[in-house]
Amino acid sequence: MRGPDMADVDLEGGGLWTTSVGSLPKPAYLSRARSAAARGEIEHDELVALERRATREWIEFQESIGTDLIVDGEMYRGDMVAYFAEELDGFEIGGLVRSYGNRYYRKPIATGPIRRREPITVQWWRYAQSLTRRPVKGMLTGPYTICDWSFDEHYGSRRDMVLDLARVIRDEAADLQEAGARFIQIDEPAASTRMDELDLVIEAMEIVTEPLSAHTITHICYGDFHNAYPRMLDIPVDQIDLEFANSDFALLDAFAAHPFTKVIGLGVVDVHSHEIEPVEAIADGIRRALKLIPPERMFVDPDCGLKTRTPEEARAKLTNIRAAVDEVRAEVGLA
Amino acid sequence: MKTTVVGSYPKPPEEGRSFTLRRTLHARERGEATDADVVAAQEQLAREVIAEQEEAGIELVTDGQVRWDDIVTPFASAMGGFEIGGLLRFFDNNVYYRRPVCVGEVSWRGPASVEAYRFAASVATVPVKAVIPGPVTFARLSLDEHYHDHAAFVMAIARVLAQEAFELAAAGAPVIQIDEPALPGAPEDLDLARRAVGEITSELDGVVTLVATYFQDCKRLGPQIADLPVDGFGFDLVSGPDDEDLIAQIAGDRVIQAGVVDARNTALEDRTALAARIARLAETVGPRELWVSPSAGLEFLPRDRARAKLRRLVEAARDAGARHG
Repeated sequence: MRGPDMADVDLEGGGLWTTSVGSLPKPAYLSRARSAAARGEIEHDELVALERRATREWIEFQESIGTDLIVDGEMYRGDMVAYFAEELDGFEIGGLVRSYGNRYYRKPIATGPIRRREPITVQWWRYAQSLTRRPVKGMLTGPYTICDWSFDEHYGSRRDMVLDLARVIRDEAADLQEAGARFIQIDEPAASTRMDELDLVIEAMEIVTEPLSAHTITHICYGDFHNAYPRMLDIPVDQIDLEFANSDFALLDAFAAHPFTKVIGLGVVDVHSHEIEPVEAIADGIRRALKLIPPERMFVDPDCGLKTRTPEEARAKLTNIRAAVDEVRAEVGLA
Repeated sequence: MKTTVVGSYPKPPEEGRSFTLRRTLHARERGEATDADVVAAQEQLAREVIAEQEEAGIELVTDGQVRWDDIVTPFASAMGGFEIGGLLRFFDNNVYYRRPVCVGEVSWRGPASVEAYRFAASVATVPVKAVIPGPVTFARLSLDEHYHDHAAFVMAIARVLAQEAFELAAAGAPVIQIDEPALPGAPEDLDLARRAVGEITSELDGVVTLVATYFQDCKRLGPQIADLPVDGFGFDLVSGPDDEDLIAQIAGDRVIQAGVVDARNTALEDRTALAARIARLAETVGPRELWVSPSAGLEFLPRDRARAKLRRLVEAARDAGARHG
């Protein structure tokens, strides 16, 4: 495991890199195909061909705007927890529950010991990486979040369930690294939910990242940051990705009081708003963050996955992020 | 003894049926459905949800809060002084709400929930409970950019909620539940809550008022919770099983709404054990003052599981009642 002091980023450009948190919107043809596949109207192979096409299109788009660290956009995933639960022994997929507004997801139910049958994401990662010379992130959901966003009818102990999941995700992360992934993100959006379980988040992440030499990232969102910080710095990853736009950069106040010691993933556009943030507003946010974190420890991205936006909105937001980063890069002498 | 619910109910239909409300909301976003279409879909769902509770044997129902995304934003949107801000996690659930931001004097502009209440009462064959957010929870789930004084902010909200409660009572609500899930984590606000809740309940006549807590235990509030000027209290005995001790201390002439069925996990309670627990509570509280319910709103569960939980609650309550004579 790499400590925070060793978190040099193996990328060209000296700093202020751009990336995405993970998910991107599915194009209309793919959404239609997924519905049709769910109704049994098209073959699985046909759906996969469209998922590959959409993946290729998003990677081409990211390359075209100069994104430094590429994501595959998760064209083949519905929900970040159910996607893994579907591939693991010990889970059933439950009915719909609401997440927010008019958004719903199928919440998995743990009904037996959770075990991995075979690698889950490696084939997709290989495919995505084959399409670009830029690095593609390996994307995993963390053990604490999978537990927290599932029902439990088997374990009766959150710790037992989280630690079983940690071993599953560790094996998956190790397989991604073996396949060549140099950047592996283990999302823990639920990590900021219960302050009295932050130790469990850390314990689980120690298991996951123990065999990894890749640059490790975790994404955390919508929580009680002011209580979770600075303790969240003990999560054993090189980089923490956080939402800033959603709270008008209020989190920077906490960084002023206690320095942020890792690489930051700086979320600069709201993923739940149709509004396309102007380049200048994004650039201002980056400038504010640069007063506290140097450019060589900063990635810039949206607050969270963009899958709930339209493809047009997502492209516009990512394009403006890139333009804002280019503007600020010139100011700090990186261009 | 009475069986009741805390508030929300799942909006999705059971597997294989059309999810009309979701489809209609999406259509309105695209400009292909009107507000009236959405209201019609909400009313249809409210009818179904009320019928489902009645079929399960629930004696005091709600409309399932099927028009709401959460307990605060429908009220904040109806008041003057609020804008609706970014998404935040709703307590420790994987559910997110849009935080109200107070940018000016909080004011009454008209009822937020009365029309929905009237509709529910008109289609239900059993009494319907009205639910409003508690002033402390409302303030704590919001961002105050105007008052810069927590107590002043809470009291300003309380005055508007008092008007809402008054109109709900006028519309015939026999029970008004004031939801204070944030209060157990903020014992320093208990005295403020006493004044703020008093603002609401002092104007009400002939209405049973409750303060409901959920998602956590009330250990830090202690027996002083009884200082709140209401007729009864709701406890989440799944999150806080030890609250039974607290109930024993405050039982008397107060109604105790005991959340004994887990509204946040699908595992179905064992009927015998549940009945035994309800019987024990009836000993402690007195059968007349005991209401049993799920631990929180049922929206955290898939529809079929929510329905199964209600049936189990009613079965166990009947078993316990039979044993009690």
